[in-house]
Amino acid sequence: MVEEELPAQAIEKPVRRGRRPSPRWDQFRRTWYFFRRNTLAMIGLGILIFFVALFITSFIYPANSTELIPYEATNGAAPSPNPIFPQVCTYQPGEVPPAPNCYLTPTGLPSVIAPTVALSPATLGPLPFGSLTLNPTEPIFYNTFDGLIKGAQWSITISVGVVVSGAILGIFLGVVAGFYGGAVDEVIMRLTDIFLSIPGLLLVIIVLAVFAGSITSTWDRVFLVIGAFVVVWWPTYARIVRSQVLVVREQRYVEAAKASGARGGRILRKHIMPNSIYPVFVQMSLDVGTVPLLIAAIVFIGFHVFPILNFPEWGTITAFSVQGAVLYSFIEACQSSITNTCIFPWWQFFFPGLTLFLFAISVSFFADGLRDALDPRLRR
Amino acid sequence: MRLWVYVVRRVLLVIPVVIGVMTITFALVSSLPVSERLISYYGPNPKLPYTPTVPCNKLYPGEPGNCTNPIYTKGVDALGLNKPIPEQWAIYIGNSLTGNWGYVGNKTGVTGQVPIASGQPVVKVLGWFLPYTLELAALSLLLILIIAIPIGNLSAVNRNRPIDQAARVLSFSGFALPAFLLGSVLLMGFVLLIGGSNGHSPFCTGQTSYTDLYGSWPPVQCFPGGVYPSWLNQGQISSPTGFPTIDAAIHGNWWFALDTVIRMLLPAFVIAYGTVALLLRFVRNSMLEVLNLDFVRTARAKGLPEKSVVKKHAGRNSLNVTITVLGLTFAGFIAGFPIIEEVFGLYGVGRMIAFSVTLTPYDFGMIFGSTILFTLLVVAANIIVDVLYAFLDPRVRLG
Amino acid sequence: MAAAAVREPAAPGETLPEESVAAATAPPEIRPEERDESALTHGDVILDIRELKTYFYTYDGVVLALDGVSFKLRRKETLGLAGETGCGKSVTAFSVLRLIPDPPGRIVSGKILFRGADLLWGLDKEARMKPIKRSVRVKVIHKFRRIKAASARMMAVRGHGISMIFQEPSQAMNPIFPVYDQIGETLLLHRGQTIIDQLLNATPDAPEVQPAIERLAEAVRARESTDRLKALATVVGEAAHLPSFGTQAFYSARNALSTSPDAVTADLRSSLRRLRLSGLQRSYLKNRRRQTEIIDDLREIYMREMREGQHHRLLEARARRRQFTLRWSHPQFGVPYVHRRADKPLKDELFWQTVALLEGVQIANPVQVARCYPFELSGGMIQRVMIAMALSSEPAVLIADEPTTALDVTIQAQILDLMRELKHRVGTSTLLITHDLAVLAEVADRICIMYAGNIVENAPVKSLFANPLHPYTRGLLASIPRVDQPDKRLESIPGSVPNLIKPPSGCRFHPRCPYAMPVCKESRPPMTDEGNGHQVACFLYHGPSVIE
Repeated sequence: MVEEELPAQAIEKPVRRGRRPSPRWDQFRRTWYFFRRNTLAMIGLGILIFFVALFITSFIYPANSTELIPYEATNGAAPSPNPIFPQVCTYQPGEVPPAPNCYLTPTGLPSVIAPTVALSPATLGPLPFGSLTLNPTEPIFYNTFDGLIKGAQWSITISVGVVVSGAILGIFLGVVAGFYGGAVDEVIMRLTDIFLSIPGLLLVIIVLAVFAGSITSTWDRVFLVIGAFVVVWWPTYARIVRSQVLVVREQRYVEAAKASGARGGRILRKHIMPNSIYPVFVQMSLDVGTVPLLIAAIVFIGFHVFPILNFPEWGTITAFSVQGAVLYSFIEACQSSITNTCIFPWWQFFFPGLTLFLFAISVSFFADGLRDALDPRLRR
Repeated sequence: MRLWVYVVRRVLLVIPVVIGVMTITFALVSSLPVSERLISYYGPNPKLPYTPTVPCNKLYPGEPGNCTNPIYTKGVDALGLNKPIPEQWAIYIGNSLTGNWGYVGNKTGVTGQVPIASGQPVVKVLGWFLPYTLELAALSLLLILIIAIPIGNLSAVNRNRPIDQAARVLSFSGFALPAFLLGSVLLMGFVLLIGGSNGHSPFCTGQTSYTDLYGSWPPVQCFPGGVYPSWLNQGQISSPTGFPTIDAAIHGNWWFALDTVIRMLLPAFVIAYGTVALLLRFVRNSMLEVLNLDFVRTARAKGLPEKSVVKKHAGRNSLNVTITVLGLTFAGFIAGFPIIEEVFGLYGVGRMIAFSVTLTPYDFGMIFGSTILFTLLVVAANIIVDVLYAFLDPRVRLG
Repeated sequence: MAAAAVREPAAPGETLPEESVAAATAPPEIRPEERDESALTHGDVILDIRELKTYFYTYDGVVLALDGVSFKLRRKETLGLAGETGCGKSVTAFSVLRLIPDPPGRIVSGKILFRGADLLWGLDKEARMKPIKRSVRVKVIHKFRRIKAASARMMAVRGHGISMIFQEPSQAMNPIFPVYDQIGETLLLHRGQTIIDQLLNATPDAPEVQPAIERLAEAVRARESTDRLKALATVVGEAAHLPSFGTQAFYSARNALSTSPDAVTADLRSSLRRLRLSGLQRSYLKNRRRQTEIIDDLREIYMREMREGQHHRLLEARARRRQFTLRWSHPQFGVPYVHRRADKPLKDELFWQTVALLEGVQIANPVQVARCYPFELSGGMIQRVMIAMALSSEPAVLIADEPTTALDVTIQAQILDLMRELKHRVGTSTLLITHDLAVLAEVADRICIMYAGNIVENAPVKSLFANPLHPYTRGLLASIPRVDQPDKRLESIPGSVPNLIKPPSGCRFHPRCPYAMPVCKESRPPMTDEGNGHQVACFLYHGPSVIE
């Protein structure tokens, strides 16, 4: 009756030779295609790769890992003609500094930016990436450039630790709640309600305040910080996973697995878990960027998270660079100075702030791109 | 179902959550070492440490060995620390629910900054400073709604076009910029802008422009004759309502009211910037979803101009999701208050928290009290959001 | 071809002259006679779709949903568009009103002539397609300003000249506004001037009003029949020069019949109050009237643009400027309290006009229904409401996209009866889209069968059922189970609907066709006329030599 054998629906898709067509790989390629089309997401990915490189560099950078070594500052001479970007100044250890306001960093590397205006150390010493502590009358000067590079270690480790631990706890509880349902579900949901009603930052501060008295070593403090954040963050993950599990639970393949005799644990492991955790990845990548911001906020409020003031961590450095007392004393000094040439040392907060900003924004571009790429509705 | 029945049911649902929160704070309080709790309650004692036993020669000079510390036993009895845990829990919940949240310690960071709070009940001190936080919250919410909803709608309607990309950058930058950094930089920027590099105030002779924007209260020199108005008490708490702007309006002192609002504008903007970042995405996504629904197509097929379709039909429907999200992110919104109040020097509940953790000994009474207060605010906001939702969506009201 | 008469025969079933068949298959161009609107109103074709192509640009490739669809809809005719799911019927309907969601869809080419205006004018300039190398995808570069302008132009026909009702009635209305609000919006948009004029010219204090009210009250107290009450209420409305007041009087009376007949006079007298307008209300109404005038002007301008094929930017800008100044010229109406008071008469008027409209679609309790929210109404009720809304502006064309598919059979029958009755009463041409041939057998005058984005047969209904020409139509009709032959095997057409990303070459039906010939694989069969207005696109009927 019909002459041709060609089936009516001949879908021709480019298939690479030699590669087994597997749905997972196809899905990954599709996701990557949509991700690639998103410019912002690609920018985020680029900056993230830069941060990974920074992380690796920070282990080999020759500076102290747990303390920013302060150094002496010398007073300076006349201001240079360009107040925004002063001259770059380099010299080798052992040589005479070419200009009076040229500082050599403790690591022996040249200072990237030389200061321009001489203000007395009682107020804000405009140091190369320099920064003050809380007490304006007895300042400790340190090099924030070193601090930023070494800080990559601490900040990124803490962020990743928080996110991974929180995710593990949250996924576990979420899957249990979603899969078993009933009373267990109710209890866990009430718990998440309670934890989500308490403003996050406050809960972190309380937990830290309660336990900080008895914990003083650096690594212990780090674990305490991670623990405090996990306490605040597990509900978010649990909720996401639970709603996803509720959807996955109703799918046919779960029913089929049950019908063929698989028991609870196996179903959980093989079917439900892998399919429910995609949205968590998105949330995880988003949260990685927020953790250093929150640590900075806590330090800014006045609670010293780490045992010493000059701890090399992005949040600590940023927080101390914009303390209110510092700003106010700058204004006072400007008012009382005779020459009236006050140049606010913008580099003091700009570079630490920029690091935090780039980290958070690259991560959020990446997470947003990931979310759009995974969303089935937006895939057309 | 009638609206008030809905409200009552909603309020009843909240009680377990409140008790749960208090249980968590109880757990944390109980984890404190006893000496900390005693310090927090009685203040540090220079003569005797808060340990169970002390060498006897501190009490009775000359006696050897260790004796029980009378201060310790007295303190433990007063705080009820030797009772079984469930009983302690019950007492704690009872106290919390009736408003007995402890007392401000007398040598902590809080009393360092606000001396008249020493020894006062925590609830009373919080009541002094809560109105300012509420005023700031109201102004911020207003700003958030004014900024987020129009931009979100525009974003959704012009999807992936320049304005959408710009809004996306705005929302990401709001998320990535720490609030304290933005606040500090903006504060410095405005101070330098107003006062110039010599920093003198243009409004208030003899002062720096810094004080024009920093702090809740204008300095005494700015008042005519250098005298505080009579309705501003010694602790700078205003009467009769405690809300500074409203009180100033009641007393007819419009300059003061305006001044308070101006001081609140910059902090409200900084808070709004962070929350708008979060909200913008949701407004946009909900609007996109609504624009794909059938009735929007019907409205277009009727011949309504596009602007009308978007504003009337789609806009009202996506408002529901917006309000729900606002309720969900209220906890995060409130969590930003301590930081902003610290940056701008405003005397609100958040700043009390900052004072409590600045110096050791931490003022635990104040910390836990303000946390419970903030939690109650979050819970109240969620109730209001649900009620508003029912009000806006007839399906919930009549369904 | 230049001499071909544009006059199509009035009744379906008459022979089409050869030239117009050729014209239907000729490359689409507007001939000079068709540009003149008056020429077309003499003629009978009200909606002329020529070679409409709509594609969807997706990740998996370009879906050729409509590949050259052409048909004509005549005045007062009900044209049925039938076919399987996925053959492109709804896409055709949406393309006419340009409701295709723009990413991913796009009307690529074609002409849709409505009253001499080409609704797809300027289409080629709105977007550019760029094929992406080494993949099946195509990138579409939109020119948004033009697309927005085209969308604004469609305001001239949407709802006004061409109305549409949709498939799932329960989803089709906005859930947060009550029915009177949504229908009132439509009424104001399309008939605003008439309504406001009536309201302004109402005479609540004319001498005939009170006696008429008295007579109605007596009838209520005497418990007379509903028809009598209706007649008397109409008299009241005429006395006040406002028909909607008649409707209001009737429903007040009917309500009073069951509750308190003695209060009727007072009731009616107090409802007269809504017709007495204060100065503020009059000025507000005059303002609204001017706004509706400007909207009508804009519609005229857009129709002119589409008819003449050129921009009239100056006129449009002037109208928009007038709109803008009008909106801001009376700031007192922006104050919510003032606005509410000034707006009340108009809202009441629109409410009662809505009630009258709902009466027209045979809803038994229009007052309650008008006050309801859509989620409180059943599917059949909402579909009636939608029909009322669509026909309120007395459009020339009504497009009904599977109006009864989501409803159960008894309601379906009622809705179809309603549509048939309205067709006779109002005289709208209908394009009825459905997959159910039985429905079309009842209601349609002419049927187009669609398959995979092409029209394969276009015939008067009797001729189609008596003598189906296209093999697909034959297969369709053969597959309908027959009650009188219970033992007969259920026939089906072998194969399944083709993938429209890579559709079969030539005639899209050839893989499943029992009569396929080699030529079917090579080229698409043109639409040929087989006499009696029965057109078919199949090489079985005219060999390749007929293609010119």
